[in-house]
Amino acid sequence: MSLSPHVSHAASRIAQAVVVVLLAYTATFLIINVLPGDPISNMLLDPDNGFTPEEIAPIIAYYGLDRPVPEQLWTALSRFVVGDLGISLRSNLPVSGLVLDALPSTLTLAASALAVSLLLAFLIAYASQNLPPRLGQGLIRAIPSVSLAIPSFIVGIFLIQVFAFQFGLFRITSPDSFAATLFAAIALGLPVSAQIAEVLITNLDHEARQDYFAVARSRGLSRAALFGRHQLRPSSLPVVTMVALAVGELLGGSLITEAIFGRKGIGSLVQGAASTQDFPVLLAVVSLAAVVFVAVNLLADLIYPLLDPRLRRRQAARIPAPDAETLV
Amino acid sequence: MHIDRLAVSRAATEILRVEDLSVAYGRQTVVRQAGFTLEKGKALALIGESGSGKSTIAKAVLGLLGRGEAKVTGRIRFKGEDLLALPERKFRALRGRAIGFVPQDPQNALNPVRTIGSQAHEAARLLDLPDGEAERRAILDTFALIGLADPERVYRSYPHQMSGGMLQRVLIGLAVLPRPDLIVADEPTSALDVTIQKRILDLLMELRGALDLSLLFITHDLALAAERTDEVVVLKDGAVQEIGASGQVFRAPASDYARRLQADVPALNPDRFRAVARRGQEARGGGGMGIRVEAVSKSFHADGRSLRAVDEVSFSVAAGRTHALVGESGSGKTTLVRLLLGLETPDAGRLTVDGQAVHGLSRDALRGLRRNLQLVYQNPFTSLDPTWKVRNLIREPLDQYRLGDRAEREARVLDTLRSVGLSEELLERRPAKLSGGQRQRVAIARALVLRPRVLVLDEPTSALDVTVQAGILQVLSELQAAHGLTYLFISHDLSVVRQIADTVTVLRHGRVVEQGAVEQVFERPAQAYTRALIDSIPRPRRAESAPAPARDHSYQS
Amino acid sequence: MATFPAAQALPFRDAWAGARRVPTAVILSFAVVFIVVAWSLLPDLFTHHDAYVGDTSQKLLPPSARYWFGTDHLGRDLFTRVVHGTWASVTSAAMAVAVGLVAGGLMGLLAGFLGGWTDTVVARLVDVLLAIPNFLLAVVIVSSFGFETTNIAIATGVSSVAAFARLMRSEVLRTSTSVFVEASGLLGGSRWHILLRHVLPNSSRSVLALAVLQFGTSILIIAGLAFLGYGDPPPAADWGLLVASGKDYPSSPWLVFAPAGVIVVTVLAINRISRWIRHAH
Repeated sequence: MSLSPHVSHAASRIAQAVVVVLLAYTATFLIINVLPGDPISNMLLDPDNGFTPEEIAPIIAYYGLDRPVPEQLWTALSRFVVGDLGISLRSNLPVSGLVLDALPSTLTLAASALAVSLLLAFLIAYASQNLPPRLGQGLIRAIPSVSLAIPSFIVGIFLIQVFAFQFGLFRITSPDSFAATLFAAIALGLPVSAQIAEVLITNLDHEARQDYFAVARSRGLSRAALFGRHQLRPSSLPVVTMVALAVGELLGGSLITEAIFGRKGIGSLVQGAASTQDFPVLLAVVSLAAVVFVAVNLLADLIYPLLDPRLRRRQAARIPAPDAETLV
Repeated sequence: MHIDRLAVSRAATEILRVEDLSVAYGRQTVVRQAGFTLEKGKALALIGESGSGKSTIAKAVLGLLGRGEAKVTGRIRFKGEDLLALPERKFRALRGRAIGFVPQDPQNALNPVRTIGSQAHEAARLLDLPDGEAERRAILDTFALIGLADPERVYRSYPHQMSGGMLQRVLIGLAVLPRPDLIVADEPTSALDVTIQKRILDLLMELRGALDLSLLFITHDLALAAERTDEVVVLKDGAVQEIGASGQVFRAPASDYARRLQADVPALNPDRFRAVARRGQEARGGGGMGIRVEAVSKSFHADGRSLRAVDEVSFSVAAGRTHALVGESGSGKTTLVRLLLGLETPDAGRLTVDGQAVHGLSRDALRGLRRNLQLVYQNPFTSLDPTWKVRNLIREPLDQYRLGDRAEREARVLDTLRSVGLSEELLERRPAKLSGGQRQRVAIARALVLRPRVLVLDEPTSALDVTVQAGILQVLSELQAAHGLTYLFISHDLSVVRQIADTVTVLRHGRVVEQGAVEQVFERPAQAYTRALIDSIPRPRRAESAPAPARDHSYQS
Repeated sequence: MATFPAAQALPFRDAWAGARRVPTAVILSFAVVFIVVAWSLLPDLFTHHDAYVGDTSQKLLPPSARYWFGTDHLGRDLFTRVVHGTWASVTSAAMAVAVGLVAGGLMGLLAGFLGGWTDTVVARLVDVLLAIPNFLLAVVIVSSFGFETTNIAIATGVSSVAAFARLMRSEVLRTSTSVFVEASGLLGGSRWHILLRHVLPNSSRSVLALAVLQFGTSILIIAGLAFLGYGDPPPAADWGLLVASGKDYPSSPWLVFAPAGVIVVTVLAINRISRWIRHAH
């Protein structure tokens, strides 16, 4: 009984997440099909693409392209919910296989980029609070806003020109080596780290202005204890929110990073699919990204109460105040 | 400074000596050459209104001023050692151990994401006990000492699970736990209900005696300072105006500012506005009922629980008179205001204004009723749209009700502005460029520009300084006398009620505790709760221990 | 009428806030933006070289007094190409902001002001838009509608709808629950009067700050998409495209870093202005 609000809250959030994924799929499907004369048929029938009528007929039958759009959507959706992502128009292979092959490389890159960006953000935020003002605190505080203005493709090219061509720290011919992956992760993670650092610094500053920070300081706490317990700890919630939102950016940004560093992954899969109008692959990747994004944000939502006791609903009962007793 | 033969014995009893202290933020100086001395075991009050620099001095003593931003000069000698000359590392050793701090707003003074126990350990660690268990015992003992019924439970709780009064007890407990010599208390009760204020102050004074603490007490309330401390330092704009034994300063202030402060403290001048109001009432005589509230009830439902905010409340206000609704938080006074203005619908009962029922009206009829019934909000910092100029703020109701033509509206705006004591050069300003008192006057002008007969005043001065409050109350009395307005005055401050109201209803937990004429309720309260409220008004001690002569102006060094 | 005690004197800090000067960095930022806008409107005022036809004998020259940003592989003056590419980069970013501001602003306004099921529907829509990474959304739109700079601008605008809708909604909620809005209702203000005269003016500052910020972000995203080849094909001179074609000549680094520098400085200036709008009083 006492658990039920928690469980029902989780259940309703999960239901919402499922709806969002299905809507994302539908929206992408509609974008592809919104122009009159469906693009898949157009692509197939384009003589330049060299499909023979014998090849086209089964594809049209499989996707139901000869039927109205709502019916096509229904077919696609009902396959999607059981995990069937269709057949690639180009390679004739199941899309799920293509995606699964490409996924590990991109997940490695995205996870490394997240790790890099968290580390950088934390270092910048720590320095922003603990460096004496004269020793370049202002400079440190400018880092996030400057890096927000530098797109990751420029960072990537810069890293390659300097660290691959000048110093030879990695070779772009072996993009999956540890060093190459690390530099790709820096290129992808830098803008994200700037966002996290900005949120973190804003919140650390906010905490430092709170009464409880001054009161804790008046208790003679060391700088490190103050930072950890009374600044960083209460700032963790907005950082989790920020990280969860950044997941989409890491997945989308892999497009550019993979292109620059010559990595094979989801990004290069999308690049290939876009240039050949392989719509089932695009649709699959978009819905996969939506699933990942929604799942991560759901997770974030469910751990908020662990980070902030005020969000734990079931502890609603307040302790009666002794000040009130004697007067009743 | 010169060393005289008393220096040695003085130094032995002196715990804190502030000399020539100035604090500036950039080009703005907030404390100017302040100086005072606190003797061991005594309580000293720093009194002043907002902007007087009293909290800045407290922060300087605690070493909490940002060393990068604030420029601090002078000396703060604590047991003979100059705190301002200490490096941060050495200062840290004094914090908590030697100098404890009790903050203003207990609701935000404990880290919300950590348990009270874990924060108490930060204080207990300063006792250098052998292990965590010993610290825990010390914490629980202290919690028991400060009157918390279930120390174990408090230890495990998070701050949001406790009331403001309990949190302030905890904070006092954490401050005294490491056995400091000096406690700095920055308006420790101004965020609490009046009856709780008294208990917290009693506790603080009791601990001071039991633990032999010296107390630096920051407050805006002259009466409170006179009641609770030995010596007062009166501050204005960062400069010391007067220093003296509290009884002396209170009875016979030597400086102009302290005299004005004393005249404006409501508790000391219960009849200040009577004459004005009487004059108006006698000129008009009785004129029917302004407001009638009959057996009104209202419940709110949240999280499956229901709260009875207003329970069978009845009262009435004669036209042209002032009726006060008094109560602490949770008494239902705010809900009654919202019911009366038609912002909420009652579950049962009837409210009428000027003979007309407030509820069951069409939109237009309610709009018509509100022409005669206006509200002044508690906080003038939120009740005025920051993007509007004063001229448009006051004219808005005229535009909305389409009264008069353009020239007539302008004339009425100007007229009303002057009637609340503001000059027309403010017309083109936005609220951000007005002081708190000016903003509240604009809000009053806006409410009056429609010439309503009934004005609801929801704690209109509780966000303001006493001297500003006195000005606003003066304006309200004059306007009532001039226009025969009916006031419903909501307040938690009984001394203000005593000054301004004719009749009063005391509310508690949504019910009427007692009502009647103000003199009768204040002189002969029938209920224990009313008596407790009245007792919570600070009563400065009358002439006791030989008063030291009041020294005018700044400390001589 | 009786005279009343004079109202309290103006606190020093409030008086000072009105006279606050514009910081030097913000003035510099406005200068940068002014130059960029001038480039896009009147490119020929700034350069006399041809943006599309080069002199192959002058190819891959490093920056000099004659060729400020050097020359590319066809001997075209890079500075001229950057100046001529400004129009496409700036207008597409502006279009993206317009799409996001109008669609997102309206959605947020309705959700916040009407509440109820409108709010729920908008909330789900925003969730969906957030769940699709903006680069992927752009790729899908471009693949379906054609590889053009206009399409990537619209795509970028669509992905910013969520940000505008969320901000607008929270601003509207914040102001419409504020005390001065309730006061306006008691003073006879109608719902429309409150929306137009109180809620919108009080929400506008932060929405404007976001629009400016989003302008910079859009320049970055559109440059990224142009870099990947989703915009107009060469010889167009979109900034992102210039970087992309420059990276094939690693021994002539100015081909990358000159246009890259222009992008970074422009966006930096725009972000600084946005920050100034957000925090100015």
